[in-house]
Amino acid sequence: MRGGNAISVAASARPNRHESFLAYSRYRYLWFAALIVGVAVVLYILDRPYGTRYGGTWTGYTLGVVGALMILWLTWFGYRKRSYAEAQGRLVGRLSAHVYLGLALLVIVTLHTGFHVGWNVHTLAYALMCLAIASGMLGVFCYMRYPRLMTENRGGMTMQQMLGTIATLDEQLRVAAMPLDEATAMVVERAVETSAIGQSLWRQLTRRYPGCTTAAAIVHLDAIAETVPSALEEAWSQVRVLLDEKSSLLSRVRRDISYKAMIDFWLLLHVPLSFMLLTALLAHIVSVFFLW
Amino acid sequence: MEVEVTFLTVRGSAVMRRSRRIDARRVRFGRGTGNEVQLPDIRVDLTAAALFPRSGVLTIEALGPSPLRLNGRGTRSAPIGLGDEILIGPYRIQLSEPPPGCDAALLIELVQPLGDALQRLMSQVQGGVAAVPFGKRAAAWTGFLIIALVFLAGPIIVYFVGFAPLSRAIPSDSGVMAPLVRLWEPGELSNPHRFFATNCATCHRAAFARVRDDSCFACHGGIGRHVEAATEIGGARRTLEAMQCTQCHEEHRGNRAMIVRENGLCLQCHATLAQSTPGTETSNVSGFPGHPEFRVTLVADAAGPRFERVQLGKTPPPTDHPGIKFSHAAHLVPGGFPALGYKAMACADCHTPEPAGLGFLPVTYNKQCQRCHALDFERQDLPWPNARVPHGDDVGVAAAVWNFYAGKALQGAITESQLPAITRRVPGAPTSAPASVADGPPAGNAQAWVAAKTEAALRTIVFDDKRGCAYCHLGTGPEGAFDLSSILPLGATPRAHAPGAAPGRIIAPVILRTRFLPHARFDHSKHAAVGCDECHAARKAETSAAVLIPGIENCVACHGSERAGLRAESTCLTCHRFHQPELGPMRSAGTAAQ
Repeated sequence: MRGGNAISVAASARPNRHESFLAYSRYRYLWFAALIVGVAVVLYILDRPYGTRYGGTWTGYTLGVVGALMILWLTWFGYRKRSYAEAQGRLVGRLSAHVYLGLALLVIVTLHTGFHVGWNVHTLAYALMCLAIASGMLGVFCYMRYPRLMTENRGGMTMQQMLGTIATLDEQLRVAAMPLDEATAMVVERAVETSAIGQSLWRQLTRRYPGCTTAAAIVHLDAIAETVPSALEEAWSQVRVLLDEKSSLLSRVRRDISYKAMIDFWLLLHVPLSFMLLTALLAHIVSVFFLW
Repeated sequence: MEVEVTFLTVRGSAVMRRSRRIDARRVRFGRGTGNEVQLPDIRVDLTAAALFPRSGVLTIEALGPSPLRLNGRGTRSAPIGLGDEILIGPYRIQLSEPPPGCDAALLIELVQPLGDALQRLMSQVQGGVAAVPFGKRAAAWTGFLIIALVFLAGPIIVYFVGFAPLSRAIPSDSGVMAPLVRLWEPGELSNPHRFFATNCATCHRAAFARVRDDSCFACHGGIGRHVEAATEIGGARRTLEAMQCTQCHEEHRGNRAMIVRENGLCLQCHATLAQSTPGTETSNVSGFPGHPEFRVTLVADAAGPRFERVQLGKTPPPTDHPGIKFSHAAHLVPGGFPALGYKAMACADCHTPEPAGLGFLPVTYNKQCQRCHALDFERQDLPWPNARVPHGDDVGVAAAVWNFYAGKALQGAITESQLPAITRRVPGAPTSAPASVADGPPAGNAQAWVAAKTEAALRTIVFDDKRGCAYCHLGTGPEGAFDLSSILPLGATPRAHAPGAAPGRIIAPVILRTRFLPHARFDHSKHAAVGCDECHAARKAETSAAVLIPGIENCVACHGSERAGLRAESTCLTCHRFHQPELGPMRSAGTAAQ
């Protein structure tokens, strides 16, 4: 392939099996982060300033500068992730570094505070940083857990396939419920018209759909089970079977949606928290030197 | 097995057929291209079902997650025969009469084409986390604006504008603006500074500038210096001049005092003081422990007065020369004294604590000694009771004695020939008294008689080397003898003294020190639970030369180092101060550094 900016990586650098971003390159960035944390802890212990340890001692200033630079670098990942122009390295490597250095940041900034907290902008920046890192940890957890659960849940089907099957079942339900009485037909029609999937984020995450028309239809059919005339028994059982199938498919779809929502939701916290952290960090640095 | 497969496509009333023959052991159906019969619809599993003979009977078996529908009934595996209908997803497969040479014939028709139901369902699913009322961007902007306004712009505005425009609307002590101002506080202010906590500019006089000394001197201008201005201390003087208040005093550390107490601050100079400042009297200190033995300030010569600093713990032990004869041991006898009802004396009988509790008030004759050691005069009939010779006034003593005899002479009627009936003579005194006494007064000279009696009394009683004042005091003569030459001899006529001449001293000056370690601060009230005897060996002190101040080994029994855990934590500041007010102000307004 010609061109200086070929975005091709030598085949030998790509592993043949899936390599988790945590284990990337034999945990290279875990060791790097552990090294940084170790140096910071040793520095903190060895330095015994007059008065108390806090952000204004030599160690405090060093850790603060390092922490601030790390925060900027970590935030830069958000830009690089979305940029097509970047040709250096692989995104999974950058992600691995982002995760481990984000965890190291927690230790470094905690040492920088000297364990002093109060109701002020400095602790606000620290708290926002902790929340951002916590939301990041949530993200790591989600990506560790949910993809496998999604795969197991789908059982080889795609979302389109599941939804397509639901659409098919809807058609079949329409036909099968025709001989039944008005009330039942109306209930079945309502079950077919709308399917309770998606909707608000809360519903997506908790998979609770109190107004699910399919569940209501099942309840109705079970209620009339005793009173169905024998001529309609076959139709009843057909409708019942179809509704069961649809219900199980619906729950599979909802589960898939909830996993997807979890995988996206943590970023909804992580990104605004990061920007709030940047603002609070700026306020913290300005205030420290304004009232030096 | 050979199977003929025909795909039917119905368009209106026209039916199109497409047939082919498959020869395979098993005929698999699915949307994947590897199947013998591909059913290209998303609703079909990749490998949905397989058709094969089982024990001679054609069987259909579901291979994918979705069940099949055989003649309307869901099933996963079942034998099939002619006329059966199988629904795999939206496809209907009918078994029809096989042509010759085939085992089976299948008619496959797509009976449920995808309508817009699928589109609708897909759109429901694709919402995802966009279903929240606000997205990441809006949340990030909102958060940024709130924080920037409240935590960045707000305090800056308040710093520059102050409260002036607001103070008319809001009472100044209502504290309403306090929370906004204190958002930038890195820690609470020390207690004494909280009354200006809302006015940062009190100390932070300029933005982006460190707090300088002039901020502190606005209120603490008279703070004392550390070393006398005139003393030559070499390079250390520059160091002291260049020091900033904030090097030792840190603010915003909460309620506790602002002073940094670490020994290291002091040891920066005091560990090598003898090398950096040659000729200094101050010994090097390396810490605590590491503090040299105490040096007590004693009276070398009360007459000078001359003082000296002597290190404790040496042999011979240091001696004090207060100029008084006193034995603690004799006073602290267990049996007590008749005058005090035979109750043993205690330290507090003579040593009264200062009001602040730091040390003790000076011991004086009038307050402490006079109770038992009154200077009563002879028990002669006098017009007034309880005659006493004044204490502390040498000439007054002589005058009192002279006045007594003068009074006696007056009482006895003024005749030259009369002599008092009793001639007092001290046992052991020379029988030939000074001439003017033994032979009686010269005719008609009462003045001479008074003078003679006075002189005798002064020489033999009052100012005798073994009694009278000598009970406690020393004289100004050689070896502490009394030198009476300034008042004696008393002639018949008073001699003329130069006007304004100072009376000569007969009793040697006495200096009873109250502070033996003037460079340190020992607070007795903090040690009130410790008995006097535990530190001061007074019961064994038989003379006033004994120095009762204990050495440092007495202190380290309870006091430990800077980070002691099993003893009282002690730093330099526990006993010493940096600022000595008695040396004058550290900086004048004009020389406030930088």
